[in-house]
Amino acid sequence: MTLLDTAYWLTQFLLALGVLCAVYRVYKGPSVLDRVISVDVILIIVGSVMLVEMAYHGSTDYILFVLVTAVIGFLGAVAIARYVAVRQPDAQDRARRAQVEAETLAGAPASEPETPESPLGAGAQPHGGTLINDESTSWFAALARSGFVPSRKRDRPAEVQPDKDSDPGAEERPEPGDPR
Amino acid sequence: MTIDSILDGIAALFMVIGGLMSLAAGLGLVRFPDLHSRMHAATKPQVLGLLMLVLAAALMWRSWPWVVIALLAWGLMILTAPVSAHVVGRAGYRTKHMRADLLAEDELATAVDRLSRQRGVRREVKDD
Repeated sequence: MTLLDTAYWLTQFLLALGVLCAVYRVYKGPSVLDRVISVDVILIIVGSVMLVEMAYHGSTDYILFVLVTAVIGFLGAVAIARYVAVRQPDAQDRARRAQVEAETLAGAPASEPETPESPLGAGAQPHGGTLINDESTSWFAALARSGFVPSRKRDRPAEVQPDKDSDPGAEERPEPGDPR
Repeated sequence: MTIDSILDGIAALFMVIGGLMSLAAGLGLVRFPDLHSRMHAATKPQVLGLLMLVLAAALMWRSWPWVVIALLAWGLMILTAPVSAHVVGRAGYRTKHMRADLLAEDELATAVDRLSRQRGVRREVKDD
């Protein structure tokens, strides 16, 4: 029985370390998607803690909560990822990324998820990336809802950054304009 | 050395392996550089870690109906983890939450570029 005790406490310690790392990533994560997967990991580890507890005490009290935890993690990840792709967090991302960039101007930005140079070689400035994000995601969000395509597409880059959408606007702006 | 002690030992081993999986996920979340590599680390406790803990619990319970229910929880995780990983990874790629300089090859970029040249198709990451 002492072996099982040792394994129990060792496992709880390891799970606690995993949760702490995930909480650190939730706090530090540069984007919302990092936080989403970290919260997903936290939920899974909470379910794991309940499983270990049940295995140690030989009870089956929390098995329903393990089920619910799995479902909640899935639904939360999907919903938040969809919501990220649609509209809001890019504004937060811009602010956060500007802050991170201002902080780490001296050193190499280690955890910056943005592409310094893009594979297709167009000019992707450190802030241009988020602008293109915002534009592309709002584009297919606008396609998802039917009627709002041209107005949303026009409004979005004008309020985001007026100087940036002059470059992509030459070939992107006629696209939503054509069907209307 | 009865059968109970052997089962307890196996369950203890499975428990520790499950804990190590979650520790690996935490370390990967902290150490890895961008979203998609962090997703790679984050799926470790989802599948293998949870399977190990479910098996440990099943070995400790020694009753078949609860084993079925625990495996149902694990199967639900198996079914939903690819979907959520797909959605998160897709959103991460579309919104450039990845570091393209870390990729050995980005095969999706050519497809995305080719698709986004057709009009009427939803706009992809790279058009300008």
